[in-house]
Amino acid sequence: MKPLSIVVRTCCDMFAWFMVVFGSYVIIHGDVTPGGGFQGGAIVATFMALLLVAYGGEKVLSWVKFSFYNGLLIVGLLLFLLFGFSGMANSFFYNFLAVPEAVALAGGAHGIIPPSGTIALMDIAVGIEVTGGLTLILLYMFKGTRMFNLIEMGGETGHDSR
Amino acid sequence: MTEYLHLFVLLVLIISAFYAIWFRDLLSSILALAAFSLVLSLEFYILQAPDVAIAEAAIGAGLSTAIYLIALRACGRLKKGNGGGLR
Amino acid sequence: MRKTIFIIAALVFGGLMLGALDSIHPFGEPGNVPMDEYFLHHALEDRSSENVVTSIVFDYRGFDTIGEAAVLFTAVCSVLALFREGAKK
Repeated sequence: MKPLSIVVRTCCDMFAWFMVVFGSYVIIHGDVTPGGGFQGGAIVATFMALLLVAYGGEKVLSWVKFSFYNGLLIVGLLLFLLFGFSGMANSFFYNFLAVPEAVALAGGAHGIIPPSGTIALMDIAVGIEVTGGLTLILLYMFKGTRMFNLIEMGGETGHDSR
Repeated sequence: MTEYLHLFVLLVLIISAFYAIWFRDLLSSILALAAFSLVLSLEFYILQAPDVAIAEAAIGAGLSTAIYLIALRACGRLKKGNGGGLR
Repeated sequence: MRKTIFIIAALVFGGLMLGALDSIHPFGEPGNVPMDEYFLHHALEDRSSENVVTSIVFDYRGFDTIGEAAVLFTAVCSVLALFREGAKK
């Protein structure tokens, strides 16, 4: 397959990494600014969409590791369930790490964990899961269309070729 | 002022949705649909729902456009006259 | 004949929808719901989370988010089952 022109490839190279940084910002600051796990994960998954559209199938599919994104999906889901079950002493999904605002403003928050407790931690877990899941959907769909193309029509066609 | 902004955004929404089904070229139709999603996220932002606006801009204008492009590229049917236009 | 049926159906459904538009809340003024007041006032005081939407999604309605995560996982599993490498020969 022919990749797209050099202008598109250079722009996608730059913007893809900015997308990763911005998505990580949205995920980590999910409890203080608009956004959250799902939105940030979708923004991070745009990285692979940009690379796939710009570079075509052969190069990206030989470069990417499917097991990495598979691991992200499983680890995110299990981490989310772990945070849910760890409040089990009171009830399922109980926010056992939360500190009220007056205590947190007086300096009573605990160290590196944000004062909103499991809200921020579950944000990060769901962000990891959504990143892995949406990227896996994109990659498997691209792989499936390539498979169909190679069987039925004999070779791929880039959308700038005609 | 806000009413005129609302009217302008809703007008652009209707125009881009009309062009998404009116184009006979499927690539132009996909781009009109991406513009529809982008303007829809602007409308969500004006209505003070920034969470939904971020989700709409990331999924509607980014991921689903990429998925449509991949599907269209896989079909190899970019010749004119394959879309179901109104004409 | 089909055009007549289409026009009649469009008129009926358009009239019903315009009638239903008459009875919704005015724009920008939701109804008086006490639960909104509770969430808006207690999300920052008890949980110290400035984003009320995230506080509702992950804390007050956390059990629904499990369903959302399971839906995404099921979507990935179905895409994998559809496009797995098994179709060559």
